[in-house]
Amino acid sequence: MSDLLRVESLTKHFAVQQTALGSRLGGHVMAVDDVSFTVKEGETLGLVGESGCGKSTTGRCIIRLTEPTSGSIFYEDRNIRELRGKDLKAFRRQAQFIFQDPYASLNPRMTIGEIVSEPLVIHQEGTRFEQQARAKELLDVVGLNPEHINRYPHEFSGGQRQRIGIARALALNPKLLICDEPVSALDVSIQAQVLNLLGELQHDFGLTYVFIAHDLSVVQHISDRIAVMYLGKLVEISDWKALYAKPHHPYTQSLLSAVPLPDPKQQRARERIILEGDPPSPIDPPSGCRFHTRCPIAKDICSAEEPKLREVAPGHSAACHFAALNPVPIGIARPAEFTPIVG
Amino acid sequence: MAGELLKVDDLKMHFHTRDGVVKAVDGVSYTLNPGETLGVVGESGSGKSVTALTMMRLIPMPPGKIEGGEVLFKGESMLTMKEEQVRDIRGNRIAMIFQDPMTSLNPVYRIGHQIAEPLITHKGMSKKEAHARAVELLEMVGIPNAASRARDYPHQFSGGMRQRAMIAMALSCDPDVLIADEPTTALDVTIQAQILELMQALQKRTGTAIIMITHDLGVVADIANNILVMYAGRAVEYGSTDQVFYEPSHPYTWGLMDSLPTHDLTEKSTLCPIEGQPPSLLNVPSGCPFNPRCPYVKEECRTTVPELRDLGDGHLSACLFAADPDFKRSAADCAGVTR
Repeated sequence: MSDLLRVESLTKHFAVQQTALGSRLGGHVMAVDDVSFTVKEGETLGLVGESGCGKSTTGRCIIRLTEPTSGSIFYEDRNIRELRGKDLKAFRRQAQFIFQDPYASLNPRMTIGEIVSEPLVIHQEGTRFEQQARAKELLDVVGLNPEHINRYPHEFSGGQRQRIGIARALALNPKLLICDEPVSALDVSIQAQVLNLLGELQHDFGLTYVFIAHDLSVVQHISDRIAVMYLGKLVEISDWKALYAKPHHPYTQSLLSAVPLPDPKQQRARERIILEGDPPSPIDPPSGCRFHTRCPIAKDICSAEEPKLREVAPGHSAACHFAALNPVPIGIARPAEFTPIVG
Repeated sequence: MAGELLKVDDLKMHFHTRDGVVKAVDGVSYTLNPGETLGVVGESGSGKSVTALTMMRLIPMPPGKIEGGEVLFKGESMLTMKEEQVRDIRGNRIAMIFQDPMTSLNPVYRIGHQIAEPLITHKGMSKKEAHARAVELLEMVGIPNAASRARDYPHQFSGGMRQRAMIAMALSCDPDVLIADEPTTALDVTIQAQILELMQALQKRTGTAIIMITHDLGVVADIANNILVMYAGRAVEYGSTDQVFYEPSHPYTWGLMDSLPTHDLTEKSTLCPIEGQPPSLLNVPSGCPFNPRCPYVKEECRTTVPELRDLGDGHLSACLFAADPDFKRSAADCAGVTR
């Protein structure tokens, strides 16, 4: 499989406005800082991290809903940052977005037929009659009753609305779907329905997903490869199995060990790494490794030098000075002594 | 254990609205013993929070109306007691923390002042004593530089710290029961782990009983002794944590467990969602409320309302067939997708 998407040194800084009271804050929020990864055709890349780590901003930059500060994004070997006008519109047929909040992302004054066929109208695809027929077909694909085409969003439940959002994203037969927390607003039983639907659609239409979520068990379920972000940086990327079995970065390890397992015996048996404190502000991130202020194994080098993302096993990279040393299984306390790898 | 602390018996809270009667809570029973943790799980609209609010007499009536049942706190009825007596219990003997600490803290008062308030009201402390105690409490919940942070306003705290402050406030009067309504839902997972650990450590120290209301089965697996599963305003299953997780005996509980992405993070699992949508509480199906979504539904389920029945060892289930040894969860019924 070839790379459908290649993100190179993606950076997005938001300027902080002066406040209304006239105090000068200045500075920049380093939302995404030098992030690189690739997504192969037909695979699902999971993007995980806590709030404020830059995962949504990364997703939005990929389809240029947000203009990156620097870096390149290649889609089928074309840098989409250079696309203008017609070319950009053509790219957007290929790449679509599913939003987190199924209440805020559907216009309450449009019928679901209008919502689902709007991409077809914008891209002047077919006659009105054909658009209507396509909308019905799409509703059927996502498991909604095509008869309900003239209803309004408020007549649907959260899970059904998310299906409408998915139908809209599929309208133009895209290849790439950026899913930004598509199931986090849903109850578990409905969440499972939507996850299964996304799995089926990928299988039927050969879709490629970038799946953004904070729930590690959801990401594990749907992803082929997973990228972990912390405070605007990519800290670890690997295929899902290696990431869960052998996490190398201490942040990934503590993140995994913090997830409460829905299995009381396992939960009681394991030891957990509880991180101290809160994530620092992305306006003034810590020097060196951004995780060093909360890291249980931080050494002097961590605050002085920024660790590069390096390969620790085939297809598995981590950005930690100590990464290649003997990864520790989830939830087991780490040995006391570590020596940094020089170079 | 030495007598039950809290007993809820067939509690019913209905809301009379223009559109009809919303049966938000329609027959919930459980008991809570001193020092134990009860996990209440269920999806949105299953009546988990309304049950707690009804107990605390925090539901405005009308539109709410208690249609039956009883809540006994140390043998006294919470539902018939005078408002002054309830006020003496609320925040003092039974305290609550909520999902969103920003909306439950008052933005215009300093944190220390807000924690001191219940101490002045319930314990008759002077302002000075109460403030000193507030600082101690902030230290106890792990806020660094507690003395100076007590002078901060809520917006100066992060989400995790606000929830810690809420816990400090709730525990200020050394309550017998702490009701925690989705206390970690708005928090990141590493912060959630901190808060859960804090609650467990404090429980060990103070012996407070906890009612943990949540939709996250992982959270209850972590901290609960007993679990109550709710669906459409009713209790459908009750038992010890191990009973509910390892011998679930209601098809809804089976469905919940099978909807979870995974029990083991190193193995891909199959998801078997529950088909359909939860019912509208305006129009709950007749018979068993779960019958339209239940893959094992039989004719009786549509007509007979199942009672919560004991299967032995204090494990209760509100399924007509739960006691039938041949009635088992079958994996073959799952139409899920394996990836």
